[in-house]
Amino acid sequence: MRLLLVEDDRLLADGLTSQLEKAGFSVDTTSSAREASALADHEEYRAVVLDLGLPDGNGLDVLRKWRTRGISFPVLILTARGDWQDKVNGLKAGADDYLAKPFQTEELIARLNAIIRRSEGRVHSLVKAGNFELDENRQSLKLTDGTEHSLTGTEFRLLRCLMSRPGHVFSKEQLMEQLYSLNDNPSENVIEAYIRRLRKLVGTNTISTRRGQGYLFNDVV
Amino acid sequence: MTWFKKPVSVKGTLLALLLPAGILLMALAWLVHGLLLDRMSRQFVETRLKDEVAFLEHQIRDSGGRLDTLQTGDYFQEVFHHAFAIHSDSRTIISPEHWAPLLMPLVKSGEEGTLRVSGAQIAEAPSDILAYRKSFRVDDQPIVVIVSEDLGALSRSQAELHAWTAVVSLLLILLLVGVLWLGINLSMRPVVSLKAALKRLQDGEISRIDVKAPEELQPLVLQLNQLLDSLDQRLERSRDALANLSHSVKTPIAAVRQILEDIDRPLPNNLRQQMAGRLDDIDRQLEAEMRRSRFAGPQVGKSAYPLKQARDLLWMLGRLYPAKSFEMSTVLTEERRWPIEEHDLNEVLGNLLDNAGKWSARFVELGLEEDGQGFTVTVEDDGPGIPPDALDTLGTRGLRLDEQTPGHGLGLAIVREITERYGGTLNFSSGSNGGLKATIYFPGKTRGISQ
Repeated sequence: MRLLLVEDDRLLADGLTSQLEKAGFSVDTTSSAREASALADHEEYRAVVLDLGLPDGNGLDVLRKWRTRGISFPVLILTARGDWQDKVNGLKAGADDYLAKPFQTEELIARLNAIIRRSEGRVHSLVKAGNFELDENRQSLKLTDGTEHSLTGTEFRLLRCLMSRPGHVFSKEQLMEQLYSLNDNPSENVIEAYIRRLRKLVGTNTISTRRGQGYLFNDVV
Repeated sequence: MTWFKKPVSVKGTLLALLLPAGILLMALAWLVHGLLLDRMSRQFVETRLKDEVAFLEHQIRDSGGRLDTLQTGDYFQEVFHHAFAIHSDSRTIISPEHWAPLLMPLVKSGEEGTLRVSGAQIAEAPSDILAYRKSFRVDDQPIVVIVSEDLGALSRSQAELHAWTAVVSLLLILLLVGVLWLGINLSMRPVVSLKAALKRLQDGEISRIDVKAPEELQPLVLQLNQLLDSLDQRLERSRDALANLSHSVKTPIAAVRQILEDIDRPLPNNLRQQMAGRLDDIDRQLEAEMRRSRFAGPQVGKSAYPLKQARDLLWMLGRLYPAKSFEMSTVLTEERRWPIEEHDLNEVLGNLLDNAGKWSARFVELGLEEDGQGFTVTVEDDGPGIPPDALDTLGTRGLRLDEQTPGHGLGLAIVREITERYGGTLNFSSGSNGGLKATIYFPGKTRGISQ
């Protein structure tokens, strides 16, 4: 399995390369953002290990460029910054996993195998309705202007349900089936709260209420 | 407005505004006074002239129109103080006589009532007069009576009065300036003492401002003192942290160096493991102190959008644990803000959710609620939970390395510490599905800041 390791610390890169090769990967190593970009264009990698602090640029920018060009190999980010916000930013930029330095090589290899396995069955599936695109893999909503909103599980499932048949009225009971809750009998108010939140994202008129019947997604607004 | 320069001090502004305004108003009063004085004296003179004409008419009628019977000369001069002319077909009396060239044209003109002559160039007679003319008949004999007043003399005395008013006005202005100066200085005195206190604070003579500030400045002083308190605390904390860090980091470094420097010594496996263990110690200690030092604690002007942050974290954990579902139940709106520093809230939510994610079977639920008193965060999972007797001690171990069991509880200890910084409480209980339920309550000193 070919793997790209982008890491500017020579000692760490050498050590990791030999360990990863022992684990069965064939490793290409680079220490610069520019070279990493070029390599990813020409080679077929099964996975990438990406350090964020590179001498000639930010790893996140490299990752964003890959993702906008549609390069979809799984990426594991390595960084010394273990802040929650950094993790969120890394995943939003398109990473699949995140490992803070220092780490144990076994954990890195386990995580790499996990994201490779996950990426294998993956088909790039999008649900489109009106001006909105729902990305199933990233569980996120894209607007036409390019902004992307992350969604929680239930928000995503509700929106996917509504967007799967634009113009079709879904009853509250149908929507409730998309709802997971620790509470055994979630009330209908919960659905209303979710709909309110979704309307904040897609606009009030995009999800209309049919009194006594349910909700529908308006793709012509 | 380019002509209005922004003032540099309150005192300057007050003076710049009040002084010209006072002077302007005083000048205006003086001008109005002049106009009124003029008008009043004119009316007064007119009335008197009329009265005297009526008196003369009465005299003439009494005497049956015979002017020579009138007591002229000194008598009239004394009673009248005014120049007059009495004219009948047979006789004309004018007193004083050198006014004759001035009054004769009036006698001959047919106009009645108040007359005004100005700019006349006649020797020994005034140039500016006001006259009242009346013609009537006594026994079919037409008689004209004119009484006139020297306006020059009147305006001279008027001018004198007006000048005195000006002098009094000037004195009043000076008095006003004095009162203004005194008032401004008196009311600015607390500010001046505050300024002096700030100077002493800068010089290090005092550590807190202890000034009886007026009501308007009380919040400022209070806020400043609070800021100083929190600065002190922060300094103390960071010193402690660095001392801890250096204590627990330098020893392992020395140990590892010692082994590496000894080139004759072989590096067997157990030695490698020991060295790795030391490095792990350093890393854990560094991590704990760094996360600790990033806490902000309650701060003025800092707030977070809980819904947006929670959504991002839930989404991220959903990516990291793809087999598990991370849900949020809340009625908060997107724009709602909580007075908790953003990074602190991220640490609280992130650590609780990550912990729940690790232990849950397939479901984690985050609840965000608020009421009039404060804000509540609940995180519940459907994992195995922990024994009830261990609930109370969860997350109470300190952040110090020697107080910790490896690999356990750093996240929860951070959550507990942040919660305590905000004067809140962290409780663990058994969830409805047997999992762990963490409940955090932040008291809201100020109710949530809504946009």
